[in-house]
Amino acid sequence: MGIFKRLLQFASIFFTGLAILWIIKYAYSFSDYLIPPPAELLQVATSYWKIYLAAVVNTTAVAIAGHFSAILLATLVAFLGRSGSVIGNLTRTAAYNLQAYPIVAVAPIIFLFLGDGLASRLLIAAMICYFPLLLSFIGIFSEPVDQVEHFFRTTGRINWRLELAIRTFENLDKITTVIVGSGTMAIVGTIVAEFLAATNGIGYTIRKALYQSNLAKILVALFLIGLFSSLYLSLIEYIGGRIKMRLMGG
Amino acid sequence: MRLVCDNLYYRYPGTDTPVFKGLSFGIDRPGFISLFGFSGIGKSTLARIISGEIPPDKGRVDVETTGQILYSHNAERFPGWESTGHHLERVCDYGKRDLLAHLIEEYAVAPYLHSRYSGLSMGQKNRMNLIRYLVQDFGILIADEVLANVDEPTRNHILAGIKELLADRIFLYISHNALEVARFSRLVLVLPQNPEEGHTAIRIIDGLDEGTGQRTYEERTLQDRVYQLLRAASGMKT
Repeated sequence: MGIFKRLLQFASIFFTGLAILWIIKYAYSFSDYLIPPPAELLQVATSYWKIYLAAVVNTTAVAIAGHFSAILLATLVAFLGRSGSVIGNLTRTAAYNLQAYPIVAVAPIIFLFLGDGLASRLLIAAMICYFPLLLSFIGIFSEPVDQVEHFFRTTGRINWRLELAIRTFENLDKITTVIVGSGTMAIVGTIVAEFLAATNGIGYTIRKALYQSNLAKILVALFLIGLFSSLYLSLIEYIGGRIKMRLMGG
Repeated sequence: MRLVCDNLYYRYPGTDTPVFKGLSFGIDRPGFISLFGFSGIGKSTLARIISGEIPPDKGRVDVETTGQILYSHNAERFPGWESTGHHLERVCDYGKRDLLAHLIEEYAVAPYLHSRYSGLSMGQKNRMNLIRYLVQDFGILIADEVLANVDEPTRNHILAGIKELLADRIFLYISHNALEVARFSRLVLVLPQNPEEGHTAIRIIDGLDEGTGQRTYEERTLQDRVYQLLRAASGMKT
């Protein structure tokens, strides 16, 4: 999906939601305190955009770092888990069982041990997208692509590097989709972590706005989160597309 | 050079009907041998058992050969990240470069060496795939419908060439085409459609063993041999 298409989709959803909110406000005569009018929203946006932009950049940076850590770790563990050996079977069983446990439920413990700084946010972001990545990667790396691998297997040329290269190449679209999906989860995880206990980022800003019952600030934060998520996910899709095109000789 | 299958039993996991019950046959010298039978009769399964890809439930395969047993089928693909020419060079066995160049010319695939495998026609894919097997070191090559998408004149030309090239090795050719099987094979192993009660009896029928530029038999002989193969495959007495 192109960057402009994704941004357009986000903008249409966001502004449709906003319009519905205002329709409800004026239809039922809700107070400005409950649902801010357009003028107030504009005023909040112009007054606070710099602070909120800095917060959302901070959150996105943590989410990207957590996402990449999770991709690296999931690749490594899936590589171990792809084999039929004892280690492989143990890794797969552990992955399938552990992923059933909601990471958000463990988040308070992480804050207790690591405090409310960067480390906790990074760890939660990484953990929240790690298991979906791991399960997909294990599936991809352990599923033979017999049509391509057969020749190398029958002639005794197969080795783990070739096997991994074939399976990765044949599943590039699936891998890109999984990484894009987990990218959303990384952003969600970071925001949830910030919302719970952190002292930085857009989640923390939303928490403060919530205590002030200021929906205008929350709406501005949501707009920026959506904008940056769309940009990040489009970037991953673009990189995935470029890699595939380059490998395909296009 | 020898290939013996002795009392093979095989049933696919989760099924009740065995593919083979006590299947036995032997090949005691090299040459162009065909495995013929109707669809679903177990030709590819037998090929995979002979090549060691799947073990039989019972029985054994004895092979006396100087090289490995290779099994090729027509659903295979080259890796998508490299051109066909680069791939052929990469997988060509040491000392087979001249043969590779010869086959590229003989099979008329030179114009497509810069293409990716996915960009080729089905017939071009078949020829490319066969080339990469022919430039390996092997004692037995099992070719399962590897020329299924190649036009008939080209296929006949390729098969006649293979007979010369692999005269000292066993080339086990699996095909549904009774005519080409009858023409080029020294021996045809026919898997009958309705195996006799109790065991799978493979029938061995002499082929016409046609080589490059030779045709020493009458048209009528070829017709008779084709009918004989079809009768054997359908389970009728030949």
